[in-house]
Amino acid sequence: MKRSYVPVTLLLVVLMLNIIFTQYMVHQYFYENYSNTIIAAVINVILFPIAFIIYKKGVKVND
Amino acid sequence: MSDKNNKIPFNEDNYTHNINRNNERKLDRRGFMKTLVGAAGVFAVSSLPWGALAAKELSGLGDKKYPKQKIAKVDSLAIGDSVDFAFPGEHDSAILIRLSEKKYVAYQNACTHLRCPVFWKKDEGEMICPCHHGKFDVNSGEPTAGPPRRPLPEIQVKEENGAVYAVGVKRYEA
Repeated sequence: MKRSYVPVTLLLVVLMLNIIFTQYMVHQYFYENYSNTIIAAVINVILFPIAFIIYKKGVKVND
Repeated sequence: MSDKNNKIPFNEDNYTHNINRNNERKLDRRGFMKTLVGAAGVFAVSSLPWGALAAKELSGLGDKKYPKQKIAKVDSLAIGDSVDFAFPGEHDSAILIRLSEKKYVAYQNACTHLRCPVFWKKDEGEMICPCHHGKFDVNSGEPTAGPPRRPLPEIQVKEENGAVYAVGVKRYEA
């Protein structure tokens, strides 16, 4: 069984983006740039279905 | 009567024969990916309150509303002069300073050290608390010298029909 670690890598990238946008969101909130806060929060929410899709594809193809 | 319910199926002396704990805590590739997706979900959910709070700030729901209050007529206040007033309550003493033709600033004038009244020194161009010689920057209300460490709370003012009005208090972040 050949395993692909591409989806794992992609998920790690998604998690890194999550961390980056979360910190950006919190900082922008305290700098009172509220529209930037909302943008970062929306991106964070969108990243979850992306991660789920990556997981689904990665499991189906190679396991 | 048969003995079919009275047999021991195989020789055993415990009740844990069907519990297999080998590799129970091994995290394989699929399990690791599941964990990552779960983490992404946690990040998404924890973003929601921040977005909600930011939306609340943007929509202005959190701002307190005070009725606007006339402070002084424009022609009674020369450039560089100041006038004392009270806003938003009658015991919240405040000071209005006219810095230029169009620029007015107003602060709650209780010193953030021990609440002595802060005065505007026109010739020195700064606000001074006489009790312990605390000084404040007139443009921002930030303390520049002496014991106070927090800025003076700012009052929003508006010039309208030849008079200056106090319209609101900036949220105070100590």
